[in-house]
Amino acid sequence: MIFSPPAHIVRRLTPAVLVVILLTAATYAQKSVSRHYPAGKNVRLELKNLSGTITVETWNRDEIKITALMDAPSVQFNPRMTDAGLVIDIVGDNRGRNDVGDVNFKVQLPARSSVDLETRRGQINVSNIQGDLVRAHVWTSGDIQLYGINASRVFASNSSGDIFYDGEFASGGTYEFKSGKGTITLQIPVDCGFRLVATAPAQRISMGKFWSPNMKTVGEGRRVIGDVGDGRASVTVTNYNGNINFVRR
Amino acid sequence: MNCEKYQDLLSDLIDGLLTPRDCEELEAHLSACPECTEAHGDLSAIVDYCHEHRGEYEAVPNEKAMWLRITNVIEAELGNRKAAAVPAGAGWWFRLTNRSWQLSFPQFASAIAATMVIAVVLTIGGMRLVGRAGAGATTAGLSLSTDVSSVQDRYRQQQQIIDYWNKRVELNKARWNPDMRDTFERNLNVIDAAVNDSMDRLQKDPHDEVSEDILNAALNDKIALLKEFAEL
Repeated sequence: MIFSPPAHIVRRLTPAVLVVILLTAATYAQKSVSRHYPAGKNVRLELKNLSGTITVETWNRDEIKITALMDAPSVQFNPRMTDAGLVIDIVGDNRGRNDVGDVNFKVQLPARSSVDLETRRGQINVSNIQGDLVRAHVWTSGDIQLYGINASRVFASNSSGDIFYDGEFASGGTYEFKSGKGTITLQIPVDCGFRLVATAPAQRISMGKFWSPNMKTVGEGRRVIGDVGDGRASVTVTNYNGNINFVRR
Repeated sequence: MNCEKYQDLLSDLIDGLLTPRDCEELEAHLSACPECTEAHGDLSAIVDYCHEHRGEYEAVPNEKAMWLRITNVIEAELGNRKAAAVPAGAGWWFRLTNRSWQLSFPQFASAIAATMVIAVVLTIGGMRLVGRAGAGATTAGLSLSTDVSSVQDRYRQQQQIIDYWNKRVELNKARWNPDMRDTFERNLNVIDAAVNDSMDRLQKDPHDEVSEDILNAALNDKIALLKEFAEL
């Protein structure tokens, strides 16, 4: 038996149903905010997010463009320009709130910039930064992907998730990679010179073409120490429960 | 502004040289501060007296000579007071600490430079001594100490800090959204697994350098994670 409501009831209910649908859609709609800031060639970006993906790209303009896609339209988003550069602190701006949800950032800035990125949860992608510092820290879960990096200081760490680094190890530079659970892959030019301390107590350290006679293993292969090439950069890789792979670029 | 600053303005107030805003502010302060009101009263009385008796006193014949005499008397009195303040049997430390120091700028700059050089030399010396005593250097946050008792002491200290931050986190956790709570728990378990693995290995081999470093690093990571989330 098929129930079909009387036509006058359908006519009366239709506007009400439409209003409910529109209100629901508005509640769950994402809000997108886009802002531009003037920037010198070597500006610094400091971004502290609660949850969501952060994507940083470079471009040939002396300005920073921030696009934030927010799950909750009421999220406070107050970027501040300081002497050093641009500071975005979603954590500080929304302290005490538990309805913030994901904020997905896309940032475009000059290649000579430094970036200091942090999120409690979510992925961090950075490409083609040539400045002094690249720091990417995920407090809990989230992959970190750093492509085409040429910076003298790089720090990438997460509690769980993969870390992929594609870039140079500059002479005199400092590079630290740390994961609790995930795979750390470092894709570097074959002529890179660095002093390495790599520790993976539960899994494997694969040096590939970068194994040299100046290296030694400690603790049944759980740690590899030694110099590759001139050994002028300092590289520290720690993975509590995952592999460490060195790959030729 | 404090009372000293307000009292500096009293003379200008009496002479009518203050801006209306400063005047208003000072008068508001005077209405609330008996000490400044008394100073204001005294100064007003002196100024009024001078105004009333203007022309009744004779000018000093030789102003410079008079000020010299006054300065001499003050300096002689100060010298006597200083001499009296140092007891006859006072030691070098008492004399040193009770001495009034007046340094020229080059002397002051030289003293600061000397202090910095001494501090740097002592720091470097201290670091070398600590490095030798701990039988190992620190490599990018991973300590390479091999002393078993120091490992246990450090573990105990770190555990106390963890307990403190854990309590803070537990207080706030109920307010977090369920996804964040779940992610936090999962990642805390990842760190705990690293801690437990290192502890197991250290039970079998108390001198296992790699496990010791991982234990230290994982506990520090746990402290940092708890601290970060305690503020959420």
